[in-house]
Amino acid sequence: MAEPLLEIRDLSVDYHVGAGTFHALRHVSLDLGRGEVVGIVGETGCGKSTLAHAIPRLLPEPPAKVVSGSVTFRGTDLLTLPKWQMPWVRGTGIGMIFQEPINSLNPAYRILDQLSESIRTRRNREAGKERSFQGGAKPFDYSKESKPAASGGWRRSMLPSVPPEVDERRIERAPTSLKQEALEILRLVRINDPETILGLFPHELSGGMRQRVMIAMALSERPTLLIADEPTSALDVTIQAQVLTLMKELLQEIQTSILFISHDLGVIAEVADKVGVMYAGELIEFGPVETIFASSGHPYTRALLRASPKQYKGDGPLPALGGAVPNLSRLPSGCAFHPRCPIAHESCRVPPPPDLQPLAATADHQSACRFPEEAVKLP
Amino acid sequence: MWANPLTFAGFVLVVLIVLTAILVQFLPPITQAIFGHSYTILPYSLVGGVSTPFQPPSLAHPLGTDNLGVDMVSLVMAALPLDLSIGLSITAVALAIGTLLGLVAGYWDTPGTGKGWLSVVILRFTDIFLAFPSLILALAIAVTLGRGIWPTFIAITVTWWPYYVRVVRGEVLSIKHRPYVSAAKAAGLTDTRILFRHIVRNILEPLLVYYTLDVGTVIVTFSTISFIGIALPPTTPEWGSMIQQYQACCYPPYWWTVAAPGLAIFVTVLAFSLLGDGLRDLLDPRSRKVLAGGLARE
Repeated sequence: MAEPLLEIRDLSVDYHVGAGTFHALRHVSLDLGRGEVVGIVGETGCGKSTLAHAIPRLLPEPPAKVVSGSVTFRGTDLLTLPKWQMPWVRGTGIGMIFQEPINSLNPAYRILDQLSESIRTRRNREAGKERSFQGGAKPFDYSKESKPAASGGWRRSMLPSVPPEVDERRIERAPTSLKQEALEILRLVRINDPETILGLFPHELSGGMRQRVMIAMALSERPTLLIADEPTSALDVTIQAQVLTLMKELLQEIQTSILFISHDLGVIAEVADKVGVMYAGELIEFGPVETIFASSGHPYTRALLRASPKQYKGDGPLPALGGAVPNLSRLPSGCAFHPRCPIAHESCRVPPPPDLQPLAATADHQSACRFPEEAVKLP
Repeated sequence: MWANPLTFAGFVLVVLIVLTAILVQFLPPITQAIFGHSYTILPYSLVGGVSTPFQPPSLAHPLGTDNLGVDMVSLVMAALPLDLSIGLSITAVALAIGTLLGLVAGYWDTPGTGKGWLSVVILRFTDIFLAFPSLILALAIAVTLGRGIWPTFIAITVTWWPYYVRVVRGEVLSIKHRPYVSAAKAAGLTDTRILFRHIVRNILEPLLVYYTLDVGTVIVTFSTISFIGIALPPTTPEWGSMIQQYQACCYPPYWWTVAAPGLAIFVTVLAFSLLGDGLRDLLDPRSRKVLAGGLARE
């Protein structure tokens, strides 16, 4: 395989806070090829978001501190890049969709202003008017094939509530081509009546609409790598399904690499090609979606899969995993999962913590369990 | 508008004051020939001439006349352009300086980094100014620089900007951790652009409120300095120096000579305070008054 787009090696991040040092990310290594969709799952507080923010270096420093490792993006280690050069990478290089669509749009600007800002940034970089990371790269061009799929029922329910007076003049002021492109990108994310939406302020949109706008903003910069940090978690279930359907449709239309972070196994299963499972700041299993879901080689992933509801009512209580996620400032020695592990051996307590090892069955499938053969046999 | 009559009154008063200040300048001056030279007694006058000295307030002269027989209303209005423009411009300059420094100090406040040190320097420098009583400091600077409008202008500006540094820094600190700032960062915008486009836009409302509230206070400070007599040459009509001159020559018993400029200061300051308070209630989402008003109307 050619050189991966994103290569994370041995990345560790600590948070220094009053109560002590929290090892939020420990020795995470991950490869992401061009056009691949990699999902990251894990419980709350397992370091998913830290990983997402560490890649474009958006972690608040302090309290966060990258202790070791490298994040190689298109052949350049981002962690050694001077901080003032990072804006060149962000947006057009690495785009990001955040968890809270409610607050991620500036309340003072209309949708058009915010969208055109992203579009202008990309254009300036492509035209060389603004500095950009390794020159302006164009990973995909969706503009020609932005034909919405056959209208589904859900789209009709997304009709925005349009206030009677929308300031038309304000919309006209932006250059036509910027507005045209903003309209196009809003249509791409299946927003009804984008003309009206452009003239609205964020607070006039619903949560689902705002998340669509956020996705549109990220896509309008045509990033080589898109990091989606729980893009559907803050939305309620129906809207979540709509946004997810949209993301899945977009995956086929735009050829970009995506790092999709979620705590929802179902979401990951629908979207991703490969899955990484995180526990207590470590990547404990990595492999193709089908393999992980069919024959996981780590007891934690097994427990996670068992705990997700499969049918409707009548299944009885979900089999929960005993114990709790360890405190990230006082981790158990050896394998961090051993106190909760059903197949823990004495040797699991022995440091150092196990690294990802390829499983015998498929080389793609890696697990950090020292006894993967036993893990596979677990229910 | 009608839900808050005081704000509306303040707004009307401010508009009237500004209009008067502009229109007054089209009025003819009062000149007097002394020894063959024509002297301007008053640059602009409603009454167009000098009448009997020390007339008490009447219909012809609502605020009476002074020791030269000049109409007090004309005198007070002749001073209005100067006092108003001083109030508006000093506040604007101080606000601009304070905002710029406050933005930098608030946004790049991470200790240990190069720009973090800049923030520390700005804040400690601001503290130096805040440590002195501002009026005393302004007086000292005004005395040092000499008599005139510009020295006083500089003196008040120098004592005024530190407050805005604190205010703006506080606002920036609360805004810069909002998700939309991270989103702007993730979109590849540079820090300067985020600061001046995304953050400044969101602190404009409180700044407008501070500006409006402070115009009145600056006018009082300026009048105070010129009352003590260090601001202006005695021939320039200005409310503070007018009070000082008339209480030297004419009060007691001619109380209206002192009351007229005092009333002018009072009305101007009141107008800007009312407007500023109202704007704060309107623009500040944390203000309970708007909420209560809205609920009451529904």
